[in-house]
Amino acid sequence: MRIDIEDLHVAYAGRTVVAGARLIAADGEITGLVGPNGSGKSTLLRTVYRHLTPHAGRVLLSGTDLRRLAPAQAARHVAALPQERGGDFELSVHEVVAMGRTPYKRAFAGEDATDREIVARALADVGMTHHTGRRFSELSGGERQRVLLARAFAQQPDVLVLDEPTNHLDIRHQVELLALLRAARRTTLVSLHDLNAAASVCDRLHVLHDGRVIASGPPRQVLRPDLLAEVFGVRATVVDHPLTGDPLIAFDHRRPAGGPVPEPGPRDHVPT
Amino acid sequence: MTDTLPAREDTRGREGDAPGPRTRSVPAGPLALALAAALLAALTVAVSRGSTAIPAGEVWGVVLRRLSGEAPRPGTDDLIVWQLRLPRALLAALVGAGLGLCGTAMQALVRNPLADPYFLGISNGASLGAVAAIVLGLGTGGALGLGLSGAAFAGALATFALVWTVARRREGFAPLRLVLAGVAIGQFLSGFTSYLVLQAGDEQQTRSVLFWLMGSLSGASWPLLAAPAVAVPGALLWLLARARGLNALTMGDETAAGLGVDASRLRRELFTLTSLLTGVLVAVSGAIAFVALMVPHACRLVVGGDHRRLLPLSALFGALLLVVVDIACRTAMDTQELPVGVVTSLIGAPALLYLLDRRPGSVR
Repeated sequence: MRIDIEDLHVAYAGRTVVAGARLIAADGEITGLVGPNGSGKSTLLRTVYRHLTPHAGRVLLSGTDLRRLAPAQAARHVAALPQERGGDFELSVHEVVAMGRTPYKRAFAGEDATDREIVARALADVGMTHHTGRRFSELSGGERQRVLLARAFAQQPDVLVLDEPTNHLDIRHQVELLALLRAARRTTLVSLHDLNAAASVCDRLHVLHDGRVIASGPPRQVLRPDLLAEVFGVRATVVDHPLTGDPLIAFDHRRPAGGPVPEPGPRDHVPT
Repeated sequence: MTDTLPAREDTRGREGDAPGPRTRSVPAGPLALALAAALLAALTVAVSRGSTAIPAGEVWGVVLRRLSGEAPRPGTDDLIVWQLRLPRALLAALVGAGLGLCGTAMQALVRNPLADPYFLGISNGASLGAVAAIVLGLGTGGALGLGLSGAAFAGALATFALVWTVARRREGFAPLRLVLAGVAIGQFLSGFTSYLVLQAGDEQQTRSVLFWLMGSLSGASWPLLAAPAVAVPGALLWLLARARGLNALTMGDETAAGLGVDASRLRRELFTLTSLLTGVLVAVSGAIAFVALMVPHACRLVVGGDHRRLLPLSALFGALLLVVVDIACRTAMDTQELPVGVVTSLIGAPALLYLLDRRPGSVR
C-alpha cells in the first residue's frame, strides 16, 4: 500500500505549519522526510496517523481518504511511532506491545492465542523477547524504541509512520533501529534528523522547508550542496561512503553557509 | 532479518514461549478473589462490631431472612443489623469502590499516576452545596439526609459545568489546563464554604458542617445507597469497556490516535464520568481524602498498569479499605465516632510517602 499526500494544509496551535505539502510514500519503500526544525515534519506525520486534522488537502491510503475510515479501521492500516515517551504507568513490555492489538479488539475482549502469537513475533522481530516482563519505563532509550516498534508491528499495518525514531539514541542503537526498519520491508514514512542516516536508509527523500516539500527523489539526487546550503544553512559536500557506497554528506562544522569566515587559530568544534 | 541484530539478542530464547509479564509476582485473578473474600469478611465484621456486639452467625441469619423475604424476627438485632449497620457497611464498600475507580479514571485522564479526582474541584462544589444547605437550613434536621445529598450533587454538577467551560479549548481538554482550572475553581468555592461555616448560627450546625467536610459515612440509610449502587457498578462497566483506550491514553494522545483511539473524545467522556461519579460519592459521604489517590497507585505497583486488571482491583481494594477504616472509626473511641476522612488522611499520607519511595525510578 502507498500513501499519497495531496496539497496538505495543517494549522497547529493557531499557526499554519504545513502549507500545501505533496508527497508520496511508495509501496514497500522507505520514504524519508528531512528538513530543519520547524519545517513541519512532525505536523505532517501527525496528520498521517490522524492525531491532527488537516484543514485542506487529503492523505490517501492507496487511493482511499484516510479520514473516511473509522479510527480503528485506519489504525489497522497505518501504525505510528510518535515521539512521545510514555507515562510512568507501570506497564510491562508485553503490555505495551499488546497495545498494538487495540484496533482489532472489541470492548471487553481479552487476548486470544492469535494476539499472543502476533505479540511474541513482534517482540522477536525487534530482539526483545527476553524483556517481555520488564517494566517499560525502566528500559533504556534504545530498548524503548524497539519495543514501540514492536507495538507498531503488532498492529500489522500496511504503512509504518515514524517521527524521528532515532532521536536521543546513541549511535549503535540508531543503527540497530534503522536496520530493523530496512528488514521490515514495509511501506514506511519516517522523519529523520540525521541526513546521513536518511541517505543510507531511505529509498526516497522529501525535503520539507517552511511547510512545503521543495525537493523529492532518491537521496543522491536530493541531497546536493546547494540544497543543503539553502534549506539547512550549512556548507557540505557529498561524497561516496567508503564502506557502503551510499551518499555521505561531509559537513563543514566550522562555519555555516554564507557565515563569517572563522577566526584564525585552531578550533575543533563550534559551540552551539 | 535477525542477522542485522547484534549476537546478544538471540531472538528465539529459552523463555521465548512464555511472553507473560514476569516482574509481577502477584497474578491478578487470585488476588481479586482474595480481595473479594476479604471484603465479605470485613463487611461481616463491620456489621457485627459496635456498641452492641452481634455474632457473625446472627448477622448472616438476619441478612438471609431479610433477603429470602421472611418476616424479620422481632428484636433489636434485626434493627441494628438491617437498618443501621448493614447500610453503612455497604455504603463504605460502594464509596470505597467508587473512589478507587474515580482515581484510576482521573489518573488516566490527566496522564499522571498521582492525580486525585478532587483536583477537578467537583468535591469543593459538592461541599459548598451541602454546607449551604446545612447553614441556610435547607437540609432538615442537619443529618446527612437525602436533601443534603441532593444539594451536594447539584453543587457538583454546577462545578462540573464551570470547570468544563473554563478548561475547554478547541483542541479538547489538555491535562494540565484541566487540573489547573479544577484546582483554581475548587479553591475559589472552598473560600465560599469557609465563609458559610463562619456564618453558621450555632455549634451544632458547625459540627455537622465539619463532619460533612471531613467525609463521613454516618448518614447511611437504604435510600441513600440507591445512587451509588447504580453509579459505581455502571462506572466500572463503562470504564472496563474502554480499558484498552485508557491504556493507550496513558502513553499519550498521539500514541492513542495511532492506535485508533480518539483521545480527545475519550478524555471528554472520562472527565464527565469522573465528575458525575465524584459528585455522587461526595453527595453521600463528603469528600473522603486520599483513597482515590492511593488505591489505584498501590494497585498499580502490585498488578501493573493494564486497566483491564487495574480497574476491578482498584474497586475491590478501595471497597475493602474503606470498610475496614470505617470499622476503626466507629469502634476506636467509646464516646464518639471519628469521621472516616480523618482516618484516611492519617493513614493515607504516610502510606503515600512510603509508596513514593518504593517506586522504581521514584520521585526523589
